[in-house]
Amino acid sequence: MSDALPLPIQLVWLIPIYGFSGMLLSMPWATGWIKRNGPRPAAYLNLLVTLLAVAHGSLIIREILSLGPQHLDIAWFRAADLDLRIGFDLSITNLAALELVTFMSLVGQFFALGYLDKEWSLARFYALVGFFEGAMAGVVLSSNLFMSYFLLEMLTLSTYLLVGFWYAQPLVVTAARDAFLTKRVGDVLLLMGLVALSAWAGSTEFTDLYTWAAAPEGGGSLGPLAGTLLGLGLIAGPMGKCAQFPMHLWLDEAMEGPNPASILRNSVVVTCGALVLLKLMPLLRLSPLAVTVLLVVGTISALGGALVAIAQVDLKRAFSYSTSSYLGLVFIAIALQQPFVALLLLFSHAMAKALLFMSVGSVIATTNCQDLTELGGLGSRMPATTSAYLMAAAGLTGVLPLGCFWCFGLMVETLGRLAPLFAAVVLLTNALTVLNLVRVYRQVFLDTSHPKTRRAPEVNWLMALPMVSLSVIVGLMPLIMMRLVPVPGIASFSPLTATLVLGSGAIGLGAGCLIRLDKFWSRSVLKPLRTVQDLLAYDFYTDRIYRATIVTFVASLASLTNAFDRVVVNGFVNRIGSASMASAESLKLGVSGQLQTYLLTVLLAIVLLFGSLSWLHG
Amino acid sequence: MLSLLLLIPLLGAFLLLFWPGQPVPGRMRNVAIAVLVAQLLWSLRVMLAFDIHDGGMQLRESLQWVDSIGLDYRLGIDGLSLPLVLMNGALTLVSAVCTRDISQRPRIYFALLLLISGAVNGAFLAENLLLFFLFYELELIPLWLLISVWGGAERAYAATKFLIFTAVSGMLILGAFLGLALFTGSVDFSLTPIMSERLAMGSQLLLLGALLVGFGIKIPLVPFHTWLPDAHTQASTPVSVLLAGVLLKLGTYGLLRFCLGLFPEAWALVAPWLAIWAAVSVLYGSLAAIAQRDMKRMVAYSSVGHMGYILLAAAAATPVSLLGAVFQMVSHGLISALLFLLVGIVYRKTGTRDLEVLRGLLNPERGLPFTGALMILGVMASAGLPGMAGFISEFLVFRGSIAAYPVATLLCMVGSGLTAVYFLLLVNRAFFGRMAITPPSDPQRDARLDIELAPVASRETVPAMALALGVIAIGLVPLSLGRLSESSSTAMAQLPALVHVIAQASQGGLG
Repeated sequence: MSDALPLPIQLVWLIPIYGFSGMLLSMPWATGWIKRNGPRPAAYLNLLVTLLAVAHGSLIIREILSLGPQHLDIAWFRAADLDLRIGFDLSITNLAALELVTFMSLVGQFFALGYLDKEWSLARFYALVGFFEGAMAGVVLSSNLFMSYFLLEMLTLSTYLLVGFWYAQPLVVTAARDAFLTKRVGDVLLLMGLVALSAWAGSTEFTDLYTWAAAPEGGGSLGPLAGTLLGLGLIAGPMGKCAQFPMHLWLDEAMEGPNPASILRNSVVVTCGALVLLKLMPLLRLSPLAVTVLLVVGTISALGGALVAIAQVDLKRAFSYSTSSYLGLVFIAIALQQPFVALLLLFSHAMAKALLFMSVGSVIATTNCQDLTELGGLGSRMPATTSAYLMAAAGLTGVLPLGCFWCFGLMVETLGRLAPLFAAVVLLTNALTVLNLVRVYRQVFLDTSHPKTRRAPEVNWLMALPMVSLSVIVGLMPLIMMRLVPVPGIASFSPLTATLVLGSGAIGLGAGCLIRLDKFWSRSVLKPLRTVQDLLAYDFYTDRIYRATIVTFVASLASLTNAFDRVVVNGFVNRIGSASMASAESLKLGVSGQLQTYLLTVLLAIVLLFGSLSWLHG
Repeated sequence: MLSLLLLIPLLGAFLLLFWPGQPVPGRMRNVAIAVLVAQLLWSLRVMLAFDIHDGGMQLRESLQWVDSIGLDYRLGIDGLSLPLVLMNGALTLVSAVCTRDISQRPRIYFALLLLISGAVNGAFLAENLLLFFLFYELELIPLWLLISVWGGAERAYAATKFLIFTAVSGMLILGAFLGLALFTGSVDFSLTPIMSERLAMGSQLLLLGALLVGFGIKIPLVPFHTWLPDAHTQASTPVSVLLAGVLLKLGTYGLLRFCLGLFPEAWALVAPWLAIWAAVSVLYGSLAAIAQRDMKRMVAYSSVGHMGYILLAAAAATPVSLLGAVFQMVSHGLISALLFLLVGIVYRKTGTRDLEVLRGLLNPERGLPFTGALMILGVMASAGLPGMAGFISEFLVFRGSIAAYPVATLLCMVGSGLTAVYFLLLVNRAFFGRMAITPPSDPQRDARLDIELAPVASRETVPAMALALGVIAIGLVPLSLGRLSESSSTAMAQLPALVHVIAQASQGGLG
């Protein structure tokens, strides 16, 4: 760390601390030490520190724009040949991701003031969000795999606690459990990769790992099996974080948590996971199989997620599956070594999806209902929410000047040359997403009013303000992106590509307008159609497959071990105990009282003892 | 200087025993706490005098005692024993503070507690094999009394089982020590590594085997673990805290100090098998824990699993893995003490530890929210979540062992993943959901909403919080503990013979 660096850069380690300090500052209210006033001060303190994080981040961006990328690290733990450091990699992309994280956290917290207005444990929510934000801010800036892993696990923990926020409800309990365990599976596999890399490469800095992987005596000397296992371990962590097939179930269940946390989860948390994968991308050269797995998983998630989303009747779930779907596209882009496309898609998706979840949250907050079949006619009653929904939908799909149009265009253009099949996947996902958005729009905002929506007012300003400001930002996304990364401009791809993207959207639009929406069709009476609907609505029965395979396997192994422990191990010990008791009882009867027998026994024992000793000695 | 670590608790025990007049329970405890605070402060004083750059024994004390049989009073401390001595002081204090029900023979109870603490200190400090054995046995009888007098309903069975297992362990260890004298023909019971010039490999393996089984019972390792769940379930909370936090460490300490330290060559020979044994132990403990319904049994089986990591680290015997073993001993001590303390609170308040019966204890008004929050912290620490002591210990163990034993290490990591499974089930079942402490099979009583648990006394929350803070402190600033132990663990890993043999073995394609 040289002294010449400006102060904001030298103090970069404060950035994750802001979020964590928010957690600590909320503690007096969250634990009930302060009871005299309500929990609001905790919320304000958290908003304040988040604002500080945003401001500090933008100061750093200004310095970095003039200085160029910087790297800072602090020693954390050193022992023998192990050197673990806290490292910050201050590149423009990382800092942009940081601003995304802190800004979304700020907006989400503001939104939560309105959404969780009457929540008695508001302070606990803010404490958890502070923890969440701190971990995310650290992950995006991290310059080494160890710190990334460290903070990703903290994210797992805070996701568990945020999903389990309303822990008295049974569905929340299972959702929190599944979220934790699914991510934990990914994390343990990532830990295996991390430990192996740390032992083999001797360092966990990403830059050192890149050189190691490229060097013939480093990654080149690795056997194919080791390389493949390493690659699979490394991609497993991000797969769990980004809710990719087959570890996607948790994101859907996590919708049981409070909506402001869902906003963050669907936009920035998945982005964090994908950013870690982006940083690991150069290591994937060690394992061709891992790349194939990424492509397959990405494709299944993209198409499967988009299809499953269409069949959902729950307002939040309809869009959480679409998150898996978009992250699937990001995975495809990363697997095909297109980092910039992946980054752009991550950014525009995060913004638009957060906005979408805000408008959804507004609908839920005013109607207390998230069942699509019971909603309708909100368009005229909630203008701000409706326009936010439309803006988000436009930003999320290939609508002309907005963010995702640009990303999809770039993706189709580059993938069309590399692998046309995946370009088709992108277009298909776009069409299906449009279909889903249009269907939900017609049902919630157009349609006739239902009892639950007849008197719905527009949301209060605490929710409307962040929603409207984010709408503006989503509209300006292309301008922001242009400044962000050195990518080809928005008009760089051919008219054919643009037509393809727009055309796929138009097909989705047409299908979405034509689809029948009344309550009877939400689960058809026609057997074949109903089978397909059920298959999608229940997410291809993934949870049942889990339960039939891995859960049953572990449970039966556990009960087998337990039975073995009780019957064999413990039984053996008890048997010896009772046998010695029984032999003592019978010996008691065999006592003759004659001195000779005692002497004989003692003599025999001594002879045996010495005999064995001399045998051992000799 | 070190002798005071023995004298303070032992004199304290005598002080309690001969305290004049009828014993007043509160006063007995206060005296015991005062003695334990003095012991802890003196341990800290020893830490200040300790030179972290020296990997060998320090602050040595030596007295001729019974020269003819090689029993000398020789004490010393190094980076392996110092953290354990500190932990012994802290955890005995915790268990004295959190003791309830002190009306029953308080004089003897606290005297026994102090006696155990002194004996454990002696075992950690002893630099003579026979002296170690004396202290190792000295701690046995008081603990047996603590379980069999102050224990639960089936305490007689559990205490006898504990006594027999540990006595066998002691016999094997004594047998190995005496066998060493017999085979080498000299009554030298100092801690010098035995090389093959002095003793044939066959005899070395025999002695090492006896020691391994002896300490394996104490640690405990599968299949010698069956006394532990019974002892824990029948012991009272403070005794469980002491048993899990301190006494199991005698086994792992013995493993490192006497198995690895005395027989480095034989150790290197059997190490690949030990790594497999470790993996089996970890997986077995974790899987058995998943199937438990009793919270205390679950935590006890988790101990079996987590002790396996130490065997793995010792088998690999690299500087990083041995440091990881020290970390794991300390973090397991703190975390399992915390968990037993919290389970004890739940048991005291609800009268049950059955996971099928307990639900929703996190309820903020009528339940145990603070205990629940600390429990979440404890189980996450045990599952190896970063930011807490469990993670850095496991990371060091795995990082140090993976190059030597990749398969065993990966299997142990699977065990670490399974820890998350059973502890999450524990928290989810007992603390989340709608509050109830009746079996769901009885719907009428189960539907009652009028359960109201009394608030937890600060006597129990304050020690729990202190332990939680310790867990977080080590997790965030591992350097604090790492500096104390690094020199010693590095020195231990570089026992020249060991390096030599491992090099030979790897040339032969074994490594």
